[in-house]
Amino acid sequence: MIRDPNEIIEEEKKIRILIAGYPGIGKSTLALSAPKPLHIDVDFGIDRVEPRHRMPYIQPQSYDEVLEDLVPENIKDFETLVFDTGGKLFSLMSLWAIKKDPKYGQRDGSLSLRGYGFVGKEFVRLMDYCFYELKKHIVMVFHAIEEKDGDNTRLRIKVEGQTKNNVWEPMDLGGFVEMYGNERTIGFSNCERYFAKGTRGIKGVIRIPNLTPTSPNNFLTNLFAQYNALAAKEVEQLSEEQAAYEEALAKGHEVIDTMVDLKTANAAIAKMGAINHSLTSRQELGAVFNAKIAELGLVYDKKAKKYKSAPTETAKETPEKAPKEAPAEEAAEGVE
Amino acid sequence: MGKRFLMTHSLLSSWMWAMKENPFEDMTSEKDSLADFLSTLRREPIPTTEAMQKGIDFEDLVTDIMLGRGDASDKWYEAAYEVASIVKGGQLQYRAAKEIEVRGRKILLYGRLDALKAGTVYDVKFSGSYDKGKYIDSTQHPTYLTIVPEAKQFTYLVSNGSQVWKETYLREETADIIPTIEDFLDWLVQQELIATYEEYWLAK
Repeated sequence: MIRDPNEIIEEEKKIRILIAGYPGIGKSTLALSAPKPLHIDVDFGIDRVEPRHRMPYIQPQSYDEVLEDLVPENIKDFETLVFDTGGKLFSLMSLWAIKKDPKYGQRDGSLSLRGYGFVGKEFVRLMDYCFYELKKHIVMVFHAIEEKDGDNTRLRIKVEGQTKNNVWEPMDLGGFVEMYGNERTIGFSNCERYFAKGTRGIKGVIRIPNLTPTSPNNFLTNLFAQYNALAAKEVEQLSEEQAAYEEALAKGHEVIDTMVDLKTANAAIAKMGAINHSLTSRQELGAVFNAKIAELGLVYDKKAKKYKSAPTETAKETPEKAPKEAPAEEAAEGVE
Repeated sequence: MGKRFLMTHSLLSSWMWAMKENPFEDMTSEKDSLADFLSTLRREPIPTTEAMQKGIDFEDLVTDIMLGRGDASDKWYEAAYEVASIVKGGQLQYRAAKEIEVRGRKILLYGRLDALKAGTVYDVKFSGSYDKGKYIDSTQHPTYLTIVPEAKQFTYLVSNGSQVWKETYLREETADIIPTIEDFLDWLVQQELIATYEEYWLAK
């Protein structure tokens, strides 16, 4: 069914989030604050979660077990799948891949280059299956490690090889949990410390409220609700901008299509100037306009404020800079 | 109109690399990052390395696919097709410039964008050793987002020939490039290299 993009209903969107942080900072408890979670405790670390915050869990010992458990009838009562940790999930996937085909492994038991590629693709397939077919929120927990980069110390997710790139790709959000004084925070914006991922208005560093004996563990539940509320607003705003952008491009192309000679090119200047632009339509149309001017062999006459035919002997030289009202982008054509 | 001087992200990047890699190196030794920077400052032609050639070939393939003449048997075809699908409809190799004033000098920030489409600046990278977050310190997205103020975000489209990854930086989380340019000009003055810059980077 082909749908109108302006009718996107974002309220129902499931969310994929990556949570990273040092061991012991409370990532698992935070992950279990998502709506109706199933704790896929690959790390066997549920004993480190306070009993009152524990949720139904499985402790698969192989990737085959993960796949066997994640079928619709088993998980119909859950809204979120919490993979804890993603690094350990990759380890299980690696063993599964090598067992499936020895060429995915090396003599020392680690993955071969081909194996990394295979496991990366399997990760994306699993995420797509959980998200699109099972229709669940996904929380992927990772340990963070420090890496020196010149004078900076950066936080990275702990996972082997290029697979970390595959991990980030499907995520809607990715945040690093850190302590600031006595406060636990999660940061979703890129900064000197880490590369994170914030979308739909979820950005910056957000304080995670301390859990008291009576307070509910619902930080991610609230965050997901906020995400969807912001998404609805953002989609509305973006669709307006996108519509204005497409309208500007359509009008601009219509004007440019009328340019066939000097007279029509000069007539187009005012018409191009009258277009209401959105996003980068001004620059994009400017490039098309300039290409057409060049194709017609015209140059801009600053004094007369209009285009003229390029003298034959200088036709190949750089044209003069066009006026601000004309959509020209030839300001920097090299150096003397 | 007074003199204007070109400034590109490549020049800034070369300088920052020199500072980061080898801050105490003298300027006479060969084949170090500072010597490379001085070569860039003097706008000397840079020999095309194998890695650079791969990047050029990959970008050419993306362009060919967009023009409907891509070779489907090319080993990078699938990845290049994915990149082409993302930038299709946008302006390719879009040249943009913006005049700013830094330390009393008129600076023409200049960039050649791989693609510009609907508020996003795209840059295509070919990298055999990509890690998410690789470009976090790059001067490219801060520079280009300054040059194109209407753009909302900058996305690196990174491929190793078989896979494609997106690394996006939003305007609001991108550092201002001006302080870096200020530091750069100050350093050129201190090192008595400002005349070299003004000689080789004078804009029309």
